Amino acid sequence: MPFQTLRTWFERKPSVAPPPKDRSQLRVGIARVLNVWSTHQFWVAFLKELGISSENIVFSSDTSEEQGREFGKGRGTVDCCYPVKCISGHYGELVFGQKKKINILLSPMIHSLPSILHGHVVDTVTCTRVMAGPENIKAGFLKERDVFAENDIVYASPFVSLGDRHMVTEQLFTSLKDVFDLDLEETARAVQAGFQALDSFTTKARQRSRDILAWCAQNGKPCILVLARPYHMDPGIGHEIEGELQAHGYPILWLQYLPGDDDLVNWLFEEDVKTGRIKSPFDISDVWTSSYSSNTNEIMWGAKFATRCPWITCVIRLSSYECGMDQPTYTPSQKIVEATGTLYFKFGDLDSTKPGGGIKIRVETIVHYLSKYSEEIIQRKLGYLSPDCPLAVARRSDAAVST
Amino acid sequence: MGTDRLIKIEPLAANPAAVKATITAEGPRGAGENRICGLDVGSTTCKYVLASGDGHSLAQAYERHNTKQAEKVLEFLVRLENQYHLTPGQDRIFFTGSGAGIIAPLVGGKVIQEVVAVASAVERLHPSVRFVSEIGGEDMKTIFLTGEGSAKSKQVLMQSACSGGTGTFIEKTARKLEIPLERLSKMRYQGYTLHKVSSKCGIFAEADANTLLKAGVSVEEIIASLFEAVVYQNLATLTRGNTPLPEILLLGGPNLFFTGLQEAWRHHLAKLWKERKVAMPEGKDPTSMIRVPDDALYYAAQGCVEAGFREPQSTAVYQGAGKLRWWIEEGQHEEKKKLGRGGLWKDPQELAAFKARYGNGKGNVKSGCGKDNHAAAAQRVLPPIGKLGPVVVGCDFGSTTAKAVCLSPQKDLLFSCYALSRGNPIEDAKSLFRQVRTALGEGELLALAITGYGKDLLNDILGADCPVVETIAHATAGLHFFPDADCICDVGGVDVKIMILNNGAVTDFRLNSQCSSGNGAFLQGVAERFQIPMNDMADRAFEARAMPQLSMDCGVFLQSDIVNQQRKGWQADEILAGLCTILPLNVWIYAGGLNNLKQVGKKYILQGGTHKNLAVVKTQADFILSKIPDAEVVVHPYSGEAGAIGAAIEKLAYKTRTSLDTVCHWCPVTCQRSFIDVELEGGKGREWSKVPLSSGWERVIVNNSCPKGLMEDLNEMKVVKAEIERTKNAFPNIADLVRKEAFRRATT
Repeated sequence: MPFQTLRTWFERKPSVAPPPKDRSQLRVGIARVLNVWSTHQFWVAFLKELGISSENIVFSSDTSEEQGREFGKGRGTVDCCYPVKCISGHYGELVFGQKKKINILLSPMIHSLPSILHGHVVDTVTCTRVMAGPENIKAGFLKERDVFAENDIVYASPFVSLGDRHMVTEQLFTSLKDVFDLDLEETARAVQAGFQALDSFTTKARQRSRDILAWCAQNGKPCILVLARPYHMDPGIGHEIEGELQAHGYPILWLQYLPGDDDLVNWLFEEDVKTGRIKSPFDISDVWTSSYSSNTNEIMWGAKFATRCPWITCVIRLSSYECGMDQPTYTPSQKIVEATGTLYFKFGDLDSTKPGGGIKIRVETIVHYLSKYSEEIIQRKLGYLSPDCPLAVARRSDAAVST
Repeated sequence: MGTDRLIKIEPLAANPAAVKATITAEGPRGAGENRICGLDVGSTTCKYVLASGDGHSLAQAYERHNTKQAEKVLEFLVRLENQYHLTPGQDRIFFTGSGAGIIAPLVGGKVIQEVVAVASAVERLHPSVRFVSEIGGEDMKTIFLTGEGSAKSKQVLMQSACSGGTGTFIEKTARKLEIPLERLSKMRYQGYTLHKVSSKCGIFAEADANTLLKAGVSVEEIIASLFEAVVYQNLATLTRGNTPLPEILLLGGPNLFFTGLQEAWRHHLAKLWKERKVAMPEGKDPTSMIRVPDDALYYAAQGCVEAGFREPQSTAVYQGAGKLRWWIEEGQHEEKKKLGRGGLWKDPQELAAFKARYGNGKGNVKSGCGKDNHAAAAQRVLPPIGKLGPVVVGCDFGSTTAKAVCLSPQKDLLFSCYALSRGNPIEDAKSLFRQVRTALGEGELLALAITGYGKDLLNDILGADCPVVETIAHATAGLHFFPDADCICDVGGVDVKIMILNNGAVTDFRLNSQCSSGNGAFLQGVAERFQIPMNDMADRAFEARAMPQLSMDCGVFLQSDIVNQQRKGWQADEILAGLCTILPLNVWIYAGGLNNLKQVGKKYILQGGTHKNLAVVKTQADFILSKIPDAEVVVHPYSGEAGAIGAAIEKLAYKTRTSLDTVCHWCPVTCQRSFIDVELEGGKGREWSKVPLSSGWERVIVNNSCPKGLMEDLNEMKVVKAEIERTKNAFPNIADLVRKEAFRRATT
């Protein structure tokens, strides 16, 4: 379907549209894995807009070894990437572990991602292994018998370029039209609703991060930035390591939701833009030229942000076992962070098991250094920046706004 | 395990005649009187089967080779020649197993790929088998057989790069638990509570088992859990979506010897069949469909014989053992010299000079070197017991021992002592402090600081004001003795810590407790496998005059590499030397992530248990000096230390309660715990407790057999959780926002 037609549909009044199809009885299970961890609300709003009721949208639970043992058993793959491997447990749980059976198992192959760096980098695609993860895992459920068919479940794995918004409607229409009995117009509407919901969540989370930084600025307190991929927020993959540091009284930021407001990034990157080192605050070409991978790009930008932002006195790097995407980023991200004396600690090779005993002592060690050096780090980093800190300004204007 | 393990299976249909010949089990074997010998040269054992020309088995044997594969094969051949008249130039010989590649050409034999060999034997002996699991010492294989007769096809999966799921996985841990093999073989799976043991890596499984043991879990339960882990690992990684269908054949040493492992297989397969609705032949019990033949060990060797019958008469004719003997005595050494590198030292003078400087336990500093007065002082043993002046005391409450040191205000080490942990930390502390008191006499105790796992428990109670994280304590200790150090490298049993110092302050810190390759436990594990006592390790390594080049990599791969090197004929001493040589690489580059040592600095302190091994010190020093020629490397004379301001212990009084109310209910074991209550200024009390404690008191819980018991009950958990929640609410985590709200379906 060519795009001219699409545009005319967009321009039509909603009242002209045919009555929505009744999908209120359809139950859709979504595997809570990989980049669904950063595109969550897109899928929720997309399905809701299609008329699937909220209670009929089911996410698999957080990754856990029990989940893998109980539901994924023997359907594993040769993949060494645990975030991919664990999907068999998620699928199994959606197929076998639901009190009320699902009709559709939705596990998108996300090819590109929306990114704050969009337009400033070469591309925002995902790791190929991650993108194709669903295909890989699906095979384990089809090998001998079609487990999905046996359980009256339609397996839907749309290939979708969420980073290239103009392509999404056609992609989802093509791959899902038979699954949901879609027409192009309602697909376009659902996609629009999806992006709206996702953008609204992202905006909210970025604002929350800004609030944290503002609080730190006003109270002269440190916080910690986590450099990791979105799915390390899954307690079964990142093992909530950052939560242990949080329990010692340090707010935690994640690079995915760093504030990108002009005033703040201009303040942080002022010098680099002025000297022509970078073209904009979101330009990472000074440290990472082959900027294709969305998550990798953001990790590098996060490192740059962290090393400049005075109140981020410590960066925690999380990385899964044998992650080929992370491999080349270790040294540069560490060097960037440490360039201003910001503390950097890495928890690498994460796998299915929580690295038990080691964590406590490492967390304590990190806390020791945080409490000993944070003040000094904040002051030193403030010294590198102009005195016109927008976060201190924010306090005054906030007060003004609230009146 | 090297490229030669790549599996190439020839389709059976390629030679239907041959297939038919072997499938018709008792038919004419199409061969003359010439005997065929099958030899399986495995990673831990060697096996042979000798068959007459018409396929009757004449002799078989199974023996451990203790890393001397070639020697064992020679021994076998001599025996076969003398007792069974194996005749060079007439009888034929086929090899399989990890050591086959090197040995077979020396005696004129032909190598049959292991899985092909096993499959050949299975097809002949058990035509109705659909799934074979062969677990070896360091590998595991599964074979799926489908179809019938000449349409029969097989799918082979093999894993030999990782210890998870192999025999070593079980034996390594059993050795650690000091369970003799005879007992291990009789231990059961069914009826025991299973615990979580890492199924992936033998090294971590061992650590898990250790933790369980310390927590009071019985050896039987730990072993049962290991069996569970092995079966789980085999099913999880080697079935890849296929369902093992009956009948099942379990082969290989571990499957045959370990009753518990067989039980675990039966349990899991029966469960799997039920879940996947696999129909059993009428009147058959699922467990009866899983068979372990008595000669499960010999299938690979037997398969060599089977495959041998398919080969033309002229192949693999035995050429006698002469060349093999030459290779054992001379050839391998020449080849090794070509492949490997020299030993750990250049010439005896160099070794002597090294030993003179670093030997005798605490040597480290060149005499009269600079301003290392502290180090010199540390070497003097000076406890004029009972007459110490004012001291600062540092304690390290570890998991098995408690250590204390007394320092003068000038930070000279005056006295040190230790106490073995007896389960009551307060008594341990008292015993330690009695020793300190005796040494101290009338002297004044100025300050007290605590480190080690017991630090949080004891800090308030002992009135010390300063709990010190272990890593920081190490750094402080290093700096105390060698204040101008640039880097402290602590290689302990299970972790590697690298502290980079700048002007006396720690500016960078690397800790690696997840990778086993650089740590002492790994080295110890290898030495144990070679049955070399810890204390002899350095001397044995120094004896090597050549050594293999091992790969710098994760411990598990390293283990395979060692097997590889063994196959090339390297001996225990030489492998140990090779291992010591790559340890620095693992420590600095792999674990520490320090590719450019120069930027770290010039003066290095080595500490931690692993550096008690002189061979490691030598390789560490050589490695550092090769990168930074003017570097100075010293070994720390003591490992634990602390330094802080504190208080005294005299006033310590406590009451102990042991009653029904102190029983732990976290798990069905219901340990009878004791509560030790100590009066303490500012104590928070426990008003919510079944055994209430008013404020001004603190409670220590002892006699719990696992860490869970340190938490009094659900009430305390609630209190602790609430406290953590309070902190977490005050200090938000963006990931919590995602976890809580990003997957929300209802419109807010």
